[in-house]
Amino acid sequence: MVPAQWYLLLAAGIFCIGLFGVLTRNDALYFLMSVELMMNAANINFVAFSLYYGDLTGQVFALFVIALAAAEVAIGIGIILVLYRNFGDIDVTVPTEMRW
Amino acid sequence: MVDAFAYVPAVVLLPFFSFLVALGAGKYLPKGGAFGGVAATAGSFLLSLWVAATVAGGRAYNETLYTWAAGDQFELTFGALIDPLSALMLVIVTLVALLVHVFSLGYMNDEGETGLPRYYAGLGLFTASMLGFVVADNLLMAFMFFELVGLCSYLLIGFHFREPGPPSAAKKAFLVTRFGDYFFLVGVVAVFATFGTAAFAGEGSFPALAEAALAGSGDVWTPGGLGVETWFTVVGLLVLGGVVGKSAQFPLHTWLPDAMEGPTPVSALIHAATMVAAGVYLVARMYGFYALTPTTLAVIAFIGGFTALFAATMGVVKDELKQVLAYSTISQYGYMMLALGAGGYVAAVFHLTTHAFFKALLFLGAGSVIIAMHHNEDMWDMGGLKAKMPVTYYTFLAGSLALAGIFPFAGFWSKDEVLYEALVHGLNEPLLLGGYVMGLLAVPVTAFYTFRMVFLTFHGEPRSATARDPEPVRWNVKGPLTVLGSLAVVTGFINMVPVQKVLGLEGIDYLHRWLDNEWGGIDGLSSHHYADLGPYSSGYIGGGEVPTVLVGAAVSLGLALAGLGLAWRLYNVASPTEHTAKLGGIKDVLYNNYYLDELQVWIAYRTEDVAGGADTFDQGIIDGVVNGVSSVSLLGGNRVRRIQTGLVTQYATMLTLGLIALLVVLGVNGGWFL
Repeated sequence: MVPAQWYLLLAAGIFCIGLFGVLTRNDALYFLMSVELMMNAANINFVAFSLYYGDLTGQVFALFVIALAAAEVAIGIGIILVLYRNFGDIDVTVPTEMRW
Repeated sequence: MVDAFAYVPAVVLLPFFSFLVALGAGKYLPKGGAFGGVAATAGSFLLSLWVAATVAGGRAYNETLYTWAAGDQFELTFGALIDPLSALMLVIVTLVALLVHVFSLGYMNDEGETGLPRYYAGLGLFTASMLGFVVADNLLMAFMFFELVGLCSYLLIGFHFREPGPPSAAKKAFLVTRFGDYFFLVGVVAVFATFGTAAFAGEGSFPALAEAALAGSGDVWTPGGLGVETWFTVVGLLVLGGVVGKSAQFPLHTWLPDAMEGPTPVSALIHAATMVAAGVYLVARMYGFYALTPTTLAVIAFIGGFTALFAATMGVVKDELKQVLAYSTISQYGYMMLALGAGGYVAAVFHLTTHAFFKALLFLGAGSVIIAMHHNEDMWDMGGLKAKMPVTYYTFLAGSLALAGIFPFAGFWSKDEVLYEALVHGLNEPLLLGGYVMGLLAVPVTAFYTFRMVFLTFHGEPRSATARDPEPVRWNVKGPLTVLGSLAVVTGFINMVPVQKVLGLEGIDYLHRWLDNEWGGIDGLSSHHYADLGPYSSGYIGGGEVPTVLVGAAVSLGLALAGLGLAWRLYNVASPTEHTAKLGGIKDVLYNNYYLDELQVWIAYRTEDVAGGADTFDQGIIDGVVNGVSSVSLLGGNRVRRIQTGLVTQYATMLTLGLIALLVVLGVNGGWFL
């Protein structure tokens, strides 16, 4: 059996890729995809620990997160559409009205 | 059994409600809310009579009703103190206020004045604050209502605020009395610091503690190891500052003649029952304290005597009806102060009572004349009004005879007693004797200017078209005049001390017995007790009490008649001339009030730098500290808010950095890196 820390290392790697995407990209679609990556990194953790402890709760939780991610994408796409309609672009650095 | 004392707060609150009603709904009520005021003061008057009757039934009342701040050292409270003095004063104030309200119907409503709700609201609040002051059971409460009285006088004197004169007169009244009140406030704080209480009556009251401290028992705080008696004198003089301002004593009397700019009924209220009376009443209220310090008493007596003479001389040359009355008020309050300083507690209260009635009468009579003359107050345009307005004439005459101190009108009895007290106590006290001599000299002057006024106004030939055809006045003017006219004649009979002493009758000095707690009262607040505390011994001339009484009365009556006779000779002719013009330069000095107004303005300009410095200190240091504190927050906020850039990536960066920082801290604490 693959030891648990490998899973954790994989999850941490995927999470960092997602984080890197959020921090460096300006495109809202990249944002969406990066957030998806970070969530799936969390899912890997859930499933890995579930396997490690022999407890199904983690896997059930992963299913919930997948459902949540689907909902999040629906809202995210909606936001991107509104963004495009109002600013003619989906660059997240353009709308800066909500500042001091 | 319903207890009258339970309704003491209602006496104060009824006029206050009329103030609220007139203020809030006066526009929608008939007569601008006048009936609310009349009903409220009538109610207060009836309640006051009931309270007075209960006191006469042998009871008194001294209760704390509400504690609004409590500390370790002392408590700040509202309470009511009903003893013979305050019961008497309640009746006087409510009666005069009631009559003034009724009179206002004629003077304000019938004359088509505008802004009546404001006027009746002012009257209601004025009455309520004075009543609150009268029932106050401690010095701080008295001070608060004292200030309210000052505020109301400001509002009412400046009633006709669209004309130039009244607002300026109102400001002057406010500032001058405030100058005195400043010392009063320091005095109140000093009383708290010294005694830890400001209660007027009872075991732990400050007059009782002061008495104990002077007797050597008890422990009071004095600043810097000052002698107890010296310190009490200082405190007494500080409180006296407020009294001098409100009761218009020299040198803070200058606001009062200008206050004539207010509507005439307001003048009647200010002079007879409320504002000016407040000062004298305050000294009477804490007389147990003043009686302990001979220096303060001597100062009071001397200021009083001097003011009596000083103001009377100015009244001689004035041309306007109300101006003459204004100076007579200052002068008469001088007499009351003289009596208080001379140890004549009862005499002062007696003169306060009679003066309240005859001065309210004279002012309302003057108001009636002013209505008739279409608001022309110059006496040289009047004359011959006697036949046209008999009710006003005869009541005004009664008031004038009382003011001049002619036997047997009210003023004779009270003024005679004031002078008698000053004489018998002053034979061994030079300062007091000085006050007595000045008071005595003021008697003929008073009689002269009073009857100069009467003759110029009512006798002789009419000197203008208005005087030939004056406007008639209605019942609401004549009614109050009649009531007060009767009182001006008979009030003196409540205290016929000379008659008692000469004829040897016992017990007709009702006011003496009343104030001596003979029917009921509070221990330590009786005239007897005050006499025991006081520093004076009595001396007599001509070998005894009876000759002294007779000589004193005869001299003052003779002088009054002399003044009256002179006025009769000079002014009771068909067309009098301005005899005062023959005085030349002296007349100018008198007419310009000894140039005291100019002097005060001059002092104000000389001290501009002090005021400027105080202003700089206030704006720069006091406000500077406050502004400095707030500017630190403002500046910090300005800097910190810049992190809200609106760029979502930066927010994400900050979140990440925060998370990393948190992890590092946890890691270091948890020992991961070791």
